[in-house]
Amino acid sequence: MKGISAIKNFFKGLPQKIKGIPSRLSARFAGAKEILTQGNGKVTASMLVMGLGQLMYRQWVKGFMFLFIQIAFIAYFILTGATDLFGFFTLGTREGNAWYGIEGDNSVVMLIMGILAILILILYIAVYISNVKDVYRTQCAVDCLKKPLAFKSEISALLDKSFYKTALALPVIGVCVFSILPIVFMILIAFTNYGDNIVPPALVDWVGFANFGKILSLGQFAPTFFKIFGWNMLWAVLSTAINYFAGLGLALLLNKKCVKGKAIWRAFPILAYAIPGFITLLGFKFMFSYGGPINYYIQQAGGEAVGFLGLDAKWSARFIGLAVNAWISIPSTMLLATGILSNVNTDLYEAARVDGASAWKQFIKITLPYVLFATTPVLISQFIGNFNNFGIFYFLRGGLYVDGYFLASDTDLLINWLYNMSIDNNYYSIGAAISLVIFIITSVISLTVYVLSPSYKQEETFR
Amino acid sequence: MNKSKAKVAKAKTKKILNVLITYCILIIVAFVFFFPCLWLILASFSKSGSIYSFDGFFPKEYGLDAFKALFTDTVMYNYPKWFLNTLFIAVMSCVLGTLLTILTAYCMSRFRFKSRKAMMKTTLLLGMFPSFMGTIAVYLIMTQFNLINQQWGLILIYSAQAPMGYMVQKGFFDTIPYSIDEAARIDGASNFTVFVKFILPLSKPMLVYTALTSFTWPWSDFILPKMLLIDKDLYTVAVGLMSLGETEFARFAAGSIFIAIPIIVLYFCLVKYMINGMAAGAVKE
Amino acid sequence: MKKTLPALISHIALILALIVVMGILGIIASGAAAEGSEKFTGELERGVTLRILENDTAKEQGYLKELLDSFNAEYAEYGIKAVDANMDQYTDLETGGPYGYGPDVLYQANDALMKYVDGTRKHILPLPVEELDCYEYIDERAWDAYKVTIENQNFYCGVPVNIQQPLLYYRKDLLPADWENEWDDDKNGVPDIIENWSAMYRYSKQIRTESGGSKYGYMKSLNDGYFASGYFFSYGGYVFGGEDGKDTSDVGFSKNDGFKGAKIIRQLASVMNLECTEDTITKNSYSRMAQGAYFATMTTPDVYTMFIKEMVNAGYTEEYARENVVMKNVPKLPVSGDLEDESQGFKDMTVMGGVNGYAVSSYTKSPNAALAFVNFATSYKMIKLRSELLGISPARSDLADELGGLNSVINDNLNKGTIYVMPSVRALAQVWTPLQTYCEEFIRNGRSA
Repeated sequence: MKGISAIKNFFKGLPQKIKGIPSRLSARFAGAKEILTQGNGKVTASMLVMGLGQLMYRQWVKGFMFLFIQIAFIAYFILTGATDLFGFFTLGTREGNAWYGIEGDNSVVMLIMGILAILILILYIAVYISNVKDVYRTQCAVDCLKKPLAFKSEISALLDKSFYKTALALPVIGVCVFSILPIVFMILIAFTNYGDNIVPPALVDWVGFANFGKILSLGQFAPTFFKIFGWNMLWAVLSTAINYFAGLGLALLLNKKCVKGKAIWRAFPILAYAIPGFITLLGFKFMFSYGGPINYYIQQAGGEAVGFLGLDAKWSARFIGLAVNAWISIPSTMLLATGILSNVNTDLYEAARVDGASAWKQFIKITLPYVLFATTPVLISQFIGNFNNFGIFYFLRGGLYVDGYFLASDTDLLINWLYNMSIDNNYYSIGAAISLVIFIITSVISLTVYVLSPSYKQEETFR
Repeated sequence: MNKSKAKVAKAKTKKILNVLITYCILIIVAFVFFFPCLWLILASFSKSGSIYSFDGFFPKEYGLDAFKALFTDTVMYNYPKWFLNTLFIAVMSCVLGTLLTILTAYCMSRFRFKSRKAMMKTTLLLGMFPSFMGTIAVYLIMTQFNLINQQWGLILIYSAQAPMGYMVQKGFFDTIPYSIDEAARIDGASNFTVFVKFILPLSKPMLVYTALTSFTWPWSDFILPKMLLIDKDLYTVAVGLMSLGETEFARFAAGSIFIAIPIIVLYFCLVKYMINGMAAGAVKE
Repeated sequence: MKKTLPALISHIALILALIVVMGILGIIASGAAAEGSEKFTGELERGVTLRILENDTAKEQGYLKELLDSFNAEYAEYGIKAVDANMDQYTDLETGGPYGYGPDVLYQANDALMKYVDGTRKHILPLPVEELDCYEYIDERAWDAYKVTIENQNFYCGVPVNIQQPLLYYRKDLLPADWENEWDDDKNGVPDIIENWSAMYRYSKQIRTESGGSKYGYMKSLNDGYFASGYFFSYGGYVFGGEDGKDTSDVGFSKNDGFKGAKIIRQLASVMNLECTEDTITKNSYSRMAQGAYFATMTTPDVYTMFIKEMVNAGYTEEYARENVVMKNVPKLPVSGDLEDESQGFKDMTVMGGVNGYAVSSYTKSPNAALAFVNFATSYKMIKLRSELLGISPARSDLADELGGLNSVINDNLNKGTIYVMPSVRALAQVWTPLQTYCEEFIRNGRSA
């Protein structure tokens, strides 16, 4: 019931939030208008050339910094930026022919450098705006008969008030280039015809929503998508639940007073944790193969070899996948749960014991709610991790295509299917389109859960 | 008298039973987790090298040939070199990645600025993207920056992507009371000083946890180095092991053991910090 | 104060103008195509280093070192130096090459090399093959593996080095003791078991029953498309249709009488165990044959040393191993398409094969030196050394005739068409997995039926 009312409240709040947008926007514009009408000559100077106004206020460091940024940007745009930006729209005009030494345009590189140019342009605009705002702030301060910030305090502000700007600069740039840029690239690929025979040196073109149309109209994609999606959801829920509760159970077990030598018992799961995943997976694949040790013992006992991971081993392969994933993931959940359990308020248990509550009751009423509450974000990230768990079935059962599936097997998750399509069979643009669909689904689910979760709501109330 | 005695006796048997069952489960769990590892260890001591000359789980003959070959037969598979490469990449990414992650988490925890909520949601969303398609883009970027076939290229990517996982660390900083900051600020310390002099010493478990996780990722990653390293002498252990021939299982096992050992040792030394760090990061009361 | 807005606008206008002008200039610059020029001028580039990609076996057996050393000694006067590219032997030129990270010369199979030349892809160069010393000694069929026709003009993008075809491997010491009486119907002094598949099938059945299921006769991963496709080809199946065998819309393994191959595969599966639907047998055949658990298998000639190594591991002397592990051309198939019906006689089996060779990357800075290297590496002397060290069967007919034995048999097979050369089409890569699944399915259905 609580969850439902939370959702209700969320939607109830929505109209107000939307209504709030115009007023917030107009507030922004008012700020801009104020600068435009009230700004003095020094503000004008900074508007023309970044940093000029600051220099006129004798704020040397800031002024030269802005000036330097301005020059750097212009240099970038002259050298490659402008060409890159145009390349983003054309995606290349000249096809290369290596046989005759004709160097052509590489559409894919042009796309990615184009995105980079756009990101840099946005960054430029942001810096420009903050430059104007900054000089206007100084103007106001001077108008109020204060001195403009001196060199020393300019520096110390970077380590104090705006410490976050200094500290976040590098991580933000890194994340932009190596996390956001690739994702934007991939999203945009969904709107091109990149793939199959159209790979560099052939020229790639924008095709709008054609790929999404293909997914819907070509009969082979949709059925496979829904079949795999169903299994993918089941897998994500089951594996997350198994890993979570088994890890928690193990931690509770190890937490028992009667267990001696906890460090030693804990060592075994950690051992499993420390071996790199691909080694574990290859080992397990062999263990369950026809010629593997398990079948060896079955045959020794007079039985017939079983194809645990074979072509028609739908459920046994799925089950092995779950078990192997548990083997790999339980130890980390156990560590996490152990830590959290050590933080549970012991008075609660005392009180419960006095009231005569059974161990099970204590678990249900005290431990579980507490742990669940504390680990919601972790749970979400584990769910997503399992939803996109590429390694398990790639190593256990890679390279199988089963009847009724288009380029996939009945254990493949969506991410494996994407891999088969794009990396193995060159359907880059279709793959990108499908991953966009998957992304929308998963993000809606998890963002809702996250926003509704107590840990998110209470972030501000805490402390 | 008798009744209470019986009750005590009953409670005692119940308790003993409880302990017995607990230990039974523990032994089973230990076996389940230990056996595959044991198998790998035994395999590395197999004399013939091929896994197909085993009797079930156990090699027919034992020997140290695989280990010898691992370190001496370096013409095709230069394991010692790969090991050093991996160590270098993992240590450098660990140092840089930890620094960036901690800084990000601290800022997100202590500062309130306009784009903060947006950034938090964005990072959450980004984590949901099926990521390997992005590797094509990463490859292209690296070709443009001339960082293919260079260890620094990998280090750059690992440390640049590390701050994406700042959530746990942020949770930890959230639990450090604000009063500490305020007290320090009254004494005239800047935010930078507060961070370095007061917060960092308090976050030792979190530092250890972050360092460990950002060490293990490059240590056992396969996809990125496979894509970015072309020269065999630059390979990391994971890529190198995957390139081993199929009949070299013993060598594969021996190589796996050696890359697992540093991680195991680190975990055992630091398990206390790990637990505290993870817990503190997740808890929000 | 009214100056602020014009300042803002002029700033925006300036930046926009800058971007537009530079962008248009960029497009114009890229549009002005620099006319390409002939790459093979015959004039050797001096003072260059060539990166050579060879296969792992060549490296392991020391052939690559010999090759590089003798090339470097001969071309030292031009300052040309060839080095090991030190990359994975299956490196895809398409990923690294265009960005300058590929090798200059590469040795791969014809299907791998020719997928670099397809449509607009032109990652390897067409070579002036007539100028090479080996040109006249290599059969036309081998050259055809590297032929590509663009606008009615033929280009050759690779130089054949050796011919690959599956061979039958068997343990001579595991033949039935009295085979001369029992298993040699045609009395030609060669056991029928290794001459035709029907006898092999019968013998395998016998071994299996006699050993109570612990030993096998012929064993092979039957889902392996490369080896399985031979049974389809032998009865008229093909990979791709069309005049040149490159029409990818027509996949024809079971066309003509090709479906008969499926029956043979099923029958062979019945004398094996379920491992034949996995790749396990391919991997464990070396040690299992050494243990005597398998009598025979089929694989490519380059892994002969693996069998010897395992025999030595199993306690035999190397001399004994070399004498008793025998490679032989594949047995014949019954015309009837049924292993149990020998009434219509036998015919040669057609197998999937390939031609490995050298190609020159389009991105090399020194094509003439690279061509000189290829010419050197395909010379009589080097190919001879190669076949001695690596046991390959050379594509050069002069050498094949000289070496005789299997080498000339394989060369003959290529000539008479019982080697179906892997089509040099990119789409081939997409055939293997479905073919594998298809084989697995009918093997299973056959077993349960």
